[in-house]
Amino acid sequence: MPTVRLRDAGEYPEPARRAFELSKQWFNYDFAEPPAMSRVMAWDPEFGGPHGRAMKRAMGPGEFTRGEKEMVAAVVSGVNACAY
Amino acid sequence: MAGDALWYEAAHVVGITNALNVAADGLETLVAPVKVESAPAEVAAVFADIRAFYAGGDAGEIPLPFALAAHDPGYLADLWAACKRAFEDNRLSRRLKAALAFAVSLTTRSGFGTGFHLAEMRRLGVGERGVLEVVGVTQMFSSYTKIADTLQLEPDMGDIAPVDPTPAPGADAR
Repeated sequence: MPTVRLRDAGEYPEPARRAFELSKQWFNYDFAEPPAMSRVMAWDPEFGGPHGRAMKRAMGPGEFTRGEKEMVAAVVSGVNACAY
Repeated sequence: MAGDALWYEAAHVVGITNALNVAADGLETLVAPVKVESAPAEVAAVFADIRAFYAGGDAGEIPLPFALAAHDPGYLADLWAACKRAFEDNRLSRRLKAALAFAVSLTTRSGFGTGFHLAEMRRLGVGERGVLEVVGVTQMFSSYTKIADTLQLEPDMGDIAPVDPTPAPGADAR
């Protein structure tokens, strides 16, 4: 069980709710509620904003494709033993 | 990256990478590796295959985990067979597999694996930009995972990926 109460999208201010829409586009998936991590990162836009931009920059296509990078991200998460 | 076969391959790379790293990092100063010049014939044959795989030629060094495993020739042969199978071109390219192994090694702070797989990535044609791309992804997801763990977030994105209905290799479709 999370150590914090995750707020529903409706409990966030309008700029965060717009960011949640971008999250749907990024994952190309229509979430009923934004993913927990999106809601966590929206808590403090001055942290979540640059962190999210750094992630998108890192995940963008370059020498490796987005798909290949998703696999790198998955194995990093796996060896970090992160269930999320 | 759809279909389970790709992910089975990736998991094998992760597993064998960790297996090589724990021996190399843990035993580097404790156990003497088997030298090429003193290797018995059955070990020498495996060493030759290892050198060829890593394009080291006759003068190439044997990566430490294999030189350590060579104290038991039968174990070396099976360890190498599994490693070669995991890293050879298949559905995933060797280049991507080297990147996955590099990311795993960096994440687990393996000095051996980080250096070895970085060299492999470069040998297989990954440029500095590509290396830094893998470093960036590794960093960012080392951050996300620790944030998720600290807050004990529960998985909520499992439905994104479609279920692969294909049977195991060699079996008939249901």
